[in-house]
Amino acid sequence: MSMITIKEKEYTYNESEIINFAEGLIGLPEMRRAVLIPMDEYSPFCWLTSVDDEKSRFVVVNPREIFAGYEPFASNDSAASEMQALAIVKISSDWQKTTVNLRAPIFINPETKRGAQFVLTESSYSLAEALPQN
Amino acid sequence: MLVLSRRAGQKIVIGNEIVIEVISVSGEGVRLGISAPNETSVHRYEVFTDIQEANRDAEVVSDEIEQSTLENLSAHVRTKQK
Repeated sequence: MSMITIKEKEYTYNESEIINFAEGLIGLPEMRRAVLIPMDEYSPFCWLTSVDDEKSRFVVVNPREIFAGYEPFASNDSAASEMQALAIVKISSDWQKTTVNLRAPIFINPETKRGAQFVLTESSYSLAEALPQN
Repeated sequence: MLVLSRRAGQKIVIGNEIVIEVISVSGEGVRLGISAPNETSVHRYEVFTDIQEANRDAEVVSDEIEQSTLENLSAHVRTKQK
């Protein structure tokens, strides 16, 4: 068991939970090993935290929790549908200006714990999709 | 930076596995064919830098996020789900 501290809260994780990004994230090659920590009190949001540098982390979310019709791939690609999809959330201090990156989602293979960030070049999804309004 | 001259149909190799072929040249445009291992990502440079910037902007490097921001976001999203 290892431990990580976020906002003064301690979380434990097993080595087997570490997600390996062989290339890091796009343009961030140092983000190679991370853990996904659900924010229980602020669901559906999660932390994606580097285990090598606790100070480097992202807020992520299953994009379908916010954008129900999100379809990153046009075809019914069964291999892709087994992957866990995560979208990086850019938090704004004015929470209503928070945006979600639907164009470059992260996919994680739940069995191998290998992950990668993809670019949906053929899609019209935005790098900074605004939250749906009520 | 290494600068090489190539004609249509000619190739260069990077390392042992990455091969770039000049498919055709017309005017100012060049079509390139790139063969690389699956785990090597290939992006147009401007796409790469756009996403790199988005990633850096979204990276949380300290405890800068207020609890109230997360509370509001979570409440907003959960309301939408109902």
